[in-house]
Amino acid sequence: MEAAEAMLGDATMSGAVLATTGPRRSGWVTLGWAGPGALWLLVFLIAPVTMIVLASFWTKTNTGFDAFKWTFSNYGRLFDTVVYREVLVDTLKNAFIVLVLCLLIAYPVAYFLAVCIKSIRLQIALFIVVLAPFWTAYVIRIIAWYPILGRQGAINYGLEKLGIISAPLDFLLFSNFAVVLALVQLYVLFMVTPIFFQLATIDQSAVEAARDLGASPYKVFREVILPLSLPGVLIGCIFVFVLVMGEFATVQIIGGNQIQSVGTIVRSYYTNIDLPAAAAGSSILVAVMMIGVAVLLRFAKLREAV
Amino acid sequence: MVSRRTKWLLGIFFGLFTLFLYGPMLAMAVLSLQGPFGSQTFPARGLVSGHWYSELFADSLQGVRDATGVSIRLSLIVAAITALLSMSLGMAFRRRFRGSGILFYGILLSLMTPGILISLGLSLLSYYVGLDTGIYTTALGVQVVWALPFGFLVMTAVFNRYDARAEEAARDLGASSIVTFREVTLPIVWTGVFGAGLFGFTLAWNEFERTFLVAGPTQTLPLEIFRITSASVLRPYVYSLGVLTTLFSFVLIAVFMLVSRASQRRAESAAVKADEAAALPDAAVAAAAAGD
Repeated sequence: MEAAEAMLGDATMSGAVLATTGPRRSGWVTLGWAGPGALWLLVFLIAPVTMIVLASFWTKTNTGFDAFKWTFSNYGRLFDTVVYREVLVDTLKNAFIVLVLCLLIAYPVAYFLAVCIKSIRLQIALFIVVLAPFWTAYVIRIIAWYPILGRQGAINYGLEKLGIISAPLDFLLFSNFAVVLALVQLYVLFMVTPIFFQLATIDQSAVEAARDLGASPYKVFREVILPLSLPGVLIGCIFVFVLVMGEFATVQIIGGNQIQSVGTIVRSYYTNIDLPAAAAGSSILVAVMMIGVAVLLRFAKLREAV
Repeated sequence: MVSRRTKWLLGIFFGLFTLFLYGPMLAMAVLSLQGPFGSQTFPARGLVSGHWYSELFADSLQGVRDATGVSIRLSLIVAAITALLSMSLGMAFRRRFRGSGILFYGILLSLMTPGILISLGLSLLSYYVGLDTGIYTTALGVQVVWALPFGFLVMTAVFNRYDARAEEAARDLGASSIVTFREVTLPIVWTGVFGAGLFGFTLAWNEFERTFLVAGPTQTLPLEIFRITSASVLRPYVYSLGVLTTLFSFVLIAVFMLVSRASQRRAESAAVKADEAAALPDAAVAAAAAGD
């Protein structure tokens, strides 16, 4: 019981670098411990992302690009047709819809887990139930929508049997509806988790104090719990926004060829061996993501000020 | 504080949410049990049969079996590297050091960067330096990047609960830092290290977007499933394959949970021991002995 409580506590705090349990040691020892991991991140994370930005300004050749031959033409090629611009707007729109839906679904779920469930054991068990799909194959989870949404999927089949519709609904699969639904299901966990941890850390004495002062349950929620849970909401929003903006597999599998995202466009440039254009498309994506995150942070600051 | 009615409503909402998460997978499981005339959608035909499971061993699906083998080998390597790097980073972060903030953000960034960016970037990088992409080089690299923040979180949690007094005692008795690490630290935290590796295995086993552009000519299982799905009409063996890999993942999670509980107990009992044994720290004595 205690162990479980401690585990929850730990998991909440482990986001911060706070361990100071180690012995004093020389800089070389620290370098020895931190070096390999840092190097790995440098080679397989920092260098690739830097490479995208660089290559987006390099000249296209038949097999790839000419390094350090600077040009802006890749961006020009991207914006020659309206496709990229339109898809960028669509992707943003979808990311926003998915974000809002994730928030609307995740908050009550996290609230139920963190506030309504009193037994820590049950809390952990239910949390694992919510989290478990994250550890299963992403491609499989997307494909699993086929039997639900298809022309003869569970929904159409059920509705037809009940006589509610006479012909199968076509908008269910290979549509934007399907893409949004699948994305929400895939990424809602990234929203539930931070909100849950944030709610779980709320000091119950603050809640009790508010109640003792005569606040109604609604008021307690609005004035105490909601503001205290906002950091978790913010982290969740950043995660969902960034990850959904970069999506391509879900869009490809469940949107058929009807729906496109920045990710699928980048992929098709890549397949056509126009690497600099793929890089340019990705660079813009990175820029849009950073702006989006900045807006979210700014929004959080405003809330704090009010 | 929450009224009974609100509680019930939230409970029902939670139930629906669980259905939303697991419903598609359940439908897939039902359809995987169809007879030979089964198709990709309802109504299910010829329930209950193991036809589409035995179909996985058909000659035409050699590719799936090869990809499974590749995935297992690759995930094992990812697990080992993730465990080592996470443990080592966990040790590093026990004290603040110059650059620890930046490194921490780097680890966070590997969690936040969308897969396609890493995949494309690394593919461009390997084109630039003139090396081919491959399963055990580039794909391995990105999968470890993906698993590392999770392994690091596990190790941070372990070291946060870790009682350093046993180490101090060992050192006071004259053990070198290498011996102290090997004889005192490692035995206490190894279950955590194992947990980090297990986490790495599961994430690598299921990874798709990061691996997509950097796997070279070889396919991992998720890549092969994606290839099948986009190349042809979906047949129910994809469902049975999905059910099997999902069950495999669930078994791994269960093991992970057991291991992390064991690791917790261990850290706690080690702390208690350190308390009791202030007079005679047996771990430290052993360490000093080993050091001689």
